[in-house]
Amino acid sequence: MDPYSAEGELINIHNHFHQGQYQEVIDFDTSSLSPENALAARVLQLRARAALGQAEDVLADVQGETEPELQAVAALANQALGNSDEAVTTVESLDQDNATVQVLGGAVLQAAGKSEAALALLSKHQGNLEAVALIVQIHLQQNRTDLALKEVTAARRWAQDSLLVNLAESWVGLRLGGEKYQQAFYVFEELAQAPATSSVRSLVSQAVAELHLGRTEEAQAALEQAMKKEPAFAEAIANMLVLNVITGRDTKEITSALEKAKPQHPFLTDLAEKSELFDKAATKYKAKVAAA
Amino acid sequence: MQASSGMLTKFESKSSRAKGIAFHPKRPWILVSLHSSTIQLWDYRMGTLIDRFEEHDGPVRGVDFHKTQPLFVSGGDDYKIKVWSYQTRRCLFTLNGHLDYIRTVFFHHELPWILSASDDQTIRIWNWQNRSLLCTMTGHNHYAMCAQFHPKEDLVVSASLDQSVRVWDISGLRKKHSAPTSMTFEDQVARANANQTDMFGNTDAVVKFVLEGHDRGVNWVAFHPTMPLIVSAGDDRLVKLWRMSETKAWEVDTCRGHFQNASGCLFHPHQDLILSAGEDKTIRVWDLNKRTAVNSFKRENDRFWVIAAHPEINLFAAGHDNGVMVFKLERERPASAVYQNTLFYITKEKHVRSYDFQKNAESPTLLSLKKLGSPWVPPRTLSYNPAERSILVTSPADGGSYELINLPRDGSGAIEPTESKRGQGNSAIFVARNRFAVLNTSTQTVDIKDLTNNTTRSFKPPVGTSDIYFGGTGNLLIITPTAVHLYDIQQKKSTAELAVNGVKYVVWSNDGLYAALLSKHNVTIVSKTLEQVSTLHETIRIKSATWDDAGVLLYSTLNHVKYTLLNGDNGIVRTLDQTVYLVRVKGRNVYCLDRAAKPKILHIDPTEYRFKLALVKRNYEEMLQIIQNSSLVGQSIIAYLQKKGYPEIALQFVQDPTTRFELAIECGNLEVAVEMAKQLDKPKLWTRLSTEALAHGNHSIVEMCYQKLKQFDKLSFLYLTTGDNTKLTRMANIAEQRGDFTSRFQNALYLGEVEDRIQMFKEIDLYPLAYITAKSNGLEEECQAILEATGLTEEQLSMPQLGEPLSPPKPVVPTYKANWPTKGTSQSFFEKALLGQVEGLSLEDDTAAATNGFGMEDAAEDDGAAKRNGALAEVDEDEDAAGWDMGDDIAPEVEEGFVNVESAEVGGAASSEADLWARNSPLAVDHVAGGSFESAMQLLNRQVGAVNFAPLKPRFLEVYQASKTYLPASAGLPALVNYVRRTVEESDIRKVLPIIPRDLETLAANDLQRGYDTMKANKLEDGVQIFKGILHAVLINAVGSESEVAEAKKLITSACEYTVAMSIELARRKLGAPDAVAKNPQLLKRSLELSAYFTIPKIEVPHRQLALLNAMNLAVRSKNYNSALSFANRILANGGATKILENAKRTKAQCERNPHDAVEIEFDQFAEFEVCAASHTPIYSGTAYEECAFDGSKYHTKYKGTVCVVCEVCEVGKHGSGLKLFA
Repeated sequence: MDPYSAEGELINIHNHFHQGQYQEVIDFDTSSLSPENALAARVLQLRARAALGQAEDVLADVQGETEPELQAVAALANQALGNSDEAVTTVESLDQDNATVQVLGGAVLQAAGKSEAALALLSKHQGNLEAVALIVQIHLQQNRTDLALKEVTAARRWAQDSLLVNLAESWVGLRLGGEKYQQAFYVFEELAQAPATSSVRSLVSQAVAELHLGRTEEAQAALEQAMKKEPAFAEAIANMLVLNVITGRDTKEITSALEKAKPQHPFLTDLAEKSELFDKAATKYKAKVAAA
Repeated sequence: MQASSGMLTKFESKSSRAKGIAFHPKRPWILVSLHSSTIQLWDYRMGTLIDRFEEHDGPVRGVDFHKTQPLFVSGGDDYKIKVWSYQTRRCLFTLNGHLDYIRTVFFHHELPWILSASDDQTIRIWNWQNRSLLCTMTGHNHYAMCAQFHPKEDLVVSASLDQSVRVWDISGLRKKHSAPTSMTFEDQVARANANQTDMFGNTDAVVKFVLEGHDRGVNWVAFHPTMPLIVSAGDDRLVKLWRMSETKAWEVDTCRGHFQNASGCLFHPHQDLILSAGEDKTIRVWDLNKRTAVNSFKRENDRFWVIAAHPEINLFAAGHDNGVMVFKLERERPASAVYQNTLFYITKEKHVRSYDFQKNAESPTLLSLKKLGSPWVPPRTLSYNPAERSILVTSPADGGSYELINLPRDGSGAIEPTESKRGQGNSAIFVARNRFAVLNTSTQTVDIKDLTNNTTRSFKPPVGTSDIYFGGTGNLLIITPTAVHLYDIQQKKSTAELAVNGVKYVVWSNDGLYAALLSKHNVTIVSKTLEQVSTLHETIRIKSATWDDAGVLLYSTLNHVKYTLLNGDNGIVRTLDQTVYLVRVKGRNVYCLDRAAKPKILHIDPTEYRFKLALVKRNYEEMLQIIQNSSLVGQSIIAYLQKKGYPEIALQFVQDPTTRFELAIECGNLEVAVEMAKQLDKPKLWTRLSTEALAHGNHSIVEMCYQKLKQFDKLSFLYLTTGDNTKLTRMANIAEQRGDFTSRFQNALYLGEVEDRIQMFKEIDLYPLAYITAKSNGLEEECQAILEATGLTEEQLSMPQLGEPLSPPKPVVPTYKANWPTKGTSQSFFEKALLGQVEGLSLEDDTAAATNGFGMEDAAEDDGAAKRNGALAEVDEDEDAAGWDMGDDIAPEVEEGFVNVESAEVGGAASSEADLWARNSPLAVDHVAGGSFESAMQLLNRQVGAVNFAPLKPRFLEVYQASKTYLPASAGLPALVNYVRRTVEESDIRKVLPIIPRDLETLAANDLQRGYDTMKANKLEDGVQIFKGILHAVLINAVGSESEVAEAKKLITSACEYTVAMSIELARRKLGAPDAVAKNPQLLKRSLELSAYFTIPKIEVPHRQLALLNAMNLAVRSKNYNSALSFANRILANGGATKILENAKRTKAQCERNPHDAVEIEFDQFAEFEVCAASHTPIYSGTAYEECAFDGSKYHTKYKGTVCVVCEVCEVGKHGSGLKLFA
């Protein structure tokens, strides 16, 4: 039986993980799990720690382990620490048919900018929704909404109301827009507003959906809620920043908050790049006559 | 009594005497029972006989359709009632019982009953479901000629030759036969007592009233549909009207007029009219209320036997000696006229109304024309004169009359026209703003009249003129039954003539270049000089037509809206469920009037005809647009294109490979054909392709086809003809490996390889042939070897005469290296256009091509095609290198080529939505949001001459920052970027556009207000910054509508004026401290001037007051009383806050005492001028100036080419295409 299915014992920890409730994953009582699921649970907990920024601890934890799953975790941690090359080498050396290796390896490869390799690895999956979600995300990052949509639609056929499918569909929905915005919003809102499933990530997701729907006040409320929970969560700050720009408010303070939280956030790097571009482009024009 | 005007025959049939008629309630069918025993079913719209039913023996007098079931009933002189199914086309059963001829049969409107009247003096009610006789009503003592159910109540009315009309109560029968309900004993008793039995003990149907009044037999009788009235017609030639109440019935009046037996009569279903038909060959129409004759229609030879009315629509039918006629009493076409965006029309109540196409609103009644013509005759035409706002209405009543009436300015209800001019005429139309033409058909004259109704000229039109229409300026279109004349009014002669039969209406195109002549079944399109452009025929009646702005004629038939292009191409636009009269087409809306004279809007899909029009006009851009934006992919359009000889265009639509292949072959597009053939990979297709390619001379494709087909012989020959000896050699090798000796022989022959041939002959033991070959080629050694091998000597052989050895000619030109110039593949304009569109980087179209799936695929396919072609070439080269010893190798190689192409197509990143924004929109702001700063700058430079972009940087970055959100997705990966749209509802990626922070509304509500506040608070430095900020924000912005563009312009102007005003005042303050300035006469003069100029910009009045107050005080202080006085006057003229006003009054009083200026300044209070934004000096009206293309600030000409000091972005005097804020 699929341990992640509704009846499986890993369903809760698995869902916690994908709902972004990493602390809950770490605190999850794994002692009662059957032995064959212990490794999977451990992997999830390690991933949760990595997601919370404890990559070094994770790396130390799996040091010397031989299972491909744990080596994949090590690669993930390495990637998180910026040791991209090492991570990629590790992934490439691992058993490509192992589901965990596929998912973590896919993430590592994508993070290292090797989208094609990531997709090739992930496409070997056998009914693994995590892999599907990753494929969807990679497609979206490549702006291939059409392929992402195809992937989700296919997954929906065999895994109907699974959390990951819903999430992936919502990600695609936010690209498609129109009435899909509202549908995505419902998914995120349901997650964000129920105490059992609420997390900073789902709150931010909800806010993003609202932002796209043009409901700035609601988006602001959700973002404030998220920032209260975790003041240094970069995505929350970044989106808050966007929101402030849209509503025409002053953004100095929040920009510096983002700079503090995550100086290499794409928003900032991108902005710097564009600022440079502007200056360069502006030099092409000048008045015929200098100021009189 | 008038002549037969107003009666419109819609259908006539020829047959023997028609005795019974029934209309189908829904379909355009009429059932006619004949004296000859046949029952006919006609479609009176198409005029076709649908079916015949011939089972009765002898005349059939009564027929009726069932209201809902596919049934009808008939009764004949064979005493039989037959019930038929018109679906299965046979008689279902027969009801026997009557003992003599059956005169009428009718279905009950809800119960499963049939009512029959018979010469056996009885009236019977039958149940057709259980096929039983329910009731026999006796009482008449002569033939019962007619019996009908009441349409609502449980009553029957009957007419008999016993001169009486009887009304029967059949409620007892209904109670008895309706679903059994519990009935108390008392009820039963009461019922038994109440229903007095008649003399035959019959309680089901009892006579309620006996109506006596006719003094001959009564032939027909009918109930009024709603009122308690009965009408009867008898052999006493009278039509009598009866009224009944609950308890009694009496004769109301008699309609006298028929001079022979009246055989049928009925009430008009919708109007207060009675219709009767008689053996005097007339149909007569009577006013129900006055019982006076309204109209009569006479037939030459045929006596009328029966008359019937359609239950729903305005149609009647009458049966006579030689068939039936279907007719209506009056025209239902509402008189109407269209002028620009207004439709004028006359309602059923004879009210004139107008309808605004822009607002889609009906006006109240403008005028009542109750008195026009006679009461039952609707006006025929309406002509409108916009210059005088008058209308010309014609009515066929009284032999034709017209009336000229002025329309009131606004409709105030059904007022009668106060003043009207009228006259005799059949047709009257405006021909100029002060002239109209009147046709009098009886005298055959056309009068041109002025607006006072005086004839200014008069002429005789061509013989037989039946109608006139406007014919363009100074011309009339004169309609005769066989021709149309273009008649010059000035010259009084016909300048052109076109033979067209029976034209009824003329519809001019909106541009006045073409007119459509509508006949009953034909549409003829003519130019304004009456040259025929096209004509088309419809089997069904054409009702109306109107022109699309693009020159497409839309016309309506009885059941369709159709279109025709000028070239006669036509098609169906949509179906109609009721007849309408088209008046206007606008976009997807067709405006029309229905028969109730109500304006209606029909929605249509104009794609098809627009596409065809574009095709005809070779407007490829539009076609492309249509292809990409609408779902015009259908077999019909492909078939159409193919038929019209545009297979290459059809090719663009088709995705189905088979069809694509066919089309590609047809238009000689071999590349596509190859591509498709590869996809389908069927021998048949390869064969066709090879033939086609051969015809083109494209031998490389032919080669591939033969390879595919494994046609070795043909291949060999092809290589021979193209002189490709290497491949020919390889063919020989292949033949050897295949063990195909014939082929090997052939190849050897082609190659001139004698040894090989000999070798082969030896292998197959054909030594004689081997020998002879060797011998003939002079290979003596070989000959000897063969002889030795066979153990023969030369003497034993008898040799034939040997000729010269054969050797194949050597190739002179290496044809195989490239195709000869092939037959020109016809690359159509369209294809070129298409390619041009794809490649050309014109902003909008490129987007469409690149973003929509179709375009993408196309591009990919093009690539693919190129690659595949490349692959094809490669295959060839591979062959050269490796040789394709095994014929089978080829296929997989090609397959591989495909796979590669496919996978290349799947993978890889695409452009992001932000990139698309820039392509979707011509607005700079969308380019900014998409991060495409260069193109945004380019746009701004072109639009408003922007050159100095540095001040816009904050705005650029602001817009850019607002464009993306960050969605945390999978752990460990960066957030997913999504693009915030202002088009929230839109999901079509080609139309989405980015959100714009600080839109126009925010700017007007917040920033502008803040700017005002700084003015009030005298914080001018801040104010200038704010207003400049507004200017920058508007410059990089987008609005939702044209009206908002105007608002934006206003905001720009306002911000500019404030910036200038504030700058002037700031400049003044910079001159120095007041004391210092006062001491320096030069500075003082400048200070005074600036303060005066400060009052010039058009800022809000309260703020102007501040400026004026400032200037006034300064002037007073400097003893410039004259100037101060003018400022004070302006303050007082503006009004407003009392404090300022009082101050001004005081100053005014003070200054009036000594209205002189102490300091001469350059400020003429009476002159019109603007202030130069840079130098702060006046630009008097009339002098040349330059301005900023964006904000409109004015400069002296010497500042041309500098950066505008107001917006700080644009170059002064550089003219652009204008700021674009709305696409």
